[in-house]
Amino acid sequence: MHDVYNFVSGPLVWVSFIIFFGGCLYRLISMAVLAKKKDVFVYEYMSFKYGLRSIFHWIIPFGTVKWRKNPILTIVTFTFHICLILVPIFLCAHVILWKESWDIGWWYFSDTTADILTGIVIACCVFFLIRRIVLPEVKYLTSVSDYVILAMVAAPFITGFWTYHQWPGCKITGIVHIIAGEIMLAAIPFTRLIHMVYFPFTRGYMGSEFGAVRNAKDW
Amino acid sequence: MGKRTLIIYVVITLFVCIFAVMSGYSQEDVTTVEDSAFEEKMRPTVQFLHDEHNEAAGLEECDVCHHVYKDGEKIEDESSEETECSECHTLNKGDNPLSLVKVYHLQCKGCHQKEKAGPIMCSECHPR
Repeated sequence: MHDVYNFVSGPLVWVSFIIFFGGCLYRLISMAVLAKKKDVFVYEYMSFKYGLRSIFHWIIPFGTVKWRKNPILTIVTFTFHICLILVPIFLCAHVILWKESWDIGWWYFSDTTADILTGIVIACCVFFLIRRIVLPEVKYLTSVSDYVILAMVAAPFITGFWTYHQWPGCKITGIVHIIAGEIMLAAIPFTRLIHMVYFPFTRGYMGSEFGAVRNAKDW
Repeated sequence: MGKRTLIIYVVITLFVCIFAVMSGYSQEDVTTVEDSAFEEKMRPTVQFLHDEHNEAAGLEECDVCHHVYKDGEKIEDESSEETECSECHTLNKGDNPLSLVKVYHLQCKGCHQKEKAGPIMCSECHPR
């Protein structure tokens, strides 16, 4: 157990962070190069003003027509993304690990708050799963990879929740939790989770084309 | 032996027995890790059987854990049994207790990781 713990909480963390940052940088650069080669108009039409206008509207709940048309999805997806980012960063146990390793620390949630927010993330994942199965228009567009990605994102939260509550087998789930987090982090650059770093550009470009070319909003 | 003498003998023997038993208990075993600097505890007090631990770990010297540092150098043959960790690893009132948490974790978990023995995961020391 000691060897396994030392390995997954040591070298594997380095590997996952290097893949995450290196991979994101690689994807951004290679996309920029590809666009320059194949679709140079992206650079022509990219507008700072309309790009930011679009990002601003889409980053605000109910800030666009699309968000207002699907109020439940809007609430769930915003809650999900906010908790997804905040919980791992401001979880007390994680902050303690940063403190132990690097002697850096920051504000953290109380355990109860983090517990509730984790429950919310898991509940949102269940919502997304049901949505994929039930709604015909979503089901039509769903492939196996969508389920895999959803499971990959849900896994660190489910195992973390299990470990925190010290339910049976929590030592194993603790190890699985660490590995699941590392897999998710490393998978971001190479799956559709890349929308995390692509979104300012994709949204920005759509906003630019609608605003500067079609003289319209992007709804 | 007269009845009186017998009673005196019995009383003295009884006192000696009581004294022996009392003195055996007066040196209380250390069973937890406590530090008065932790005002609000997020987790219950950590259970720690001092003597059993040292026997299992084969620790003879006190200063392995109860160390004394001066100018960043460990002073050999000096130990700090009667001192709370927080007396040196100070924590100002109202401070974020992370720095003290860190020294406790490195002291216990750090050694366990190095020696590949003893608890290292959260739940092993901090049961709910």
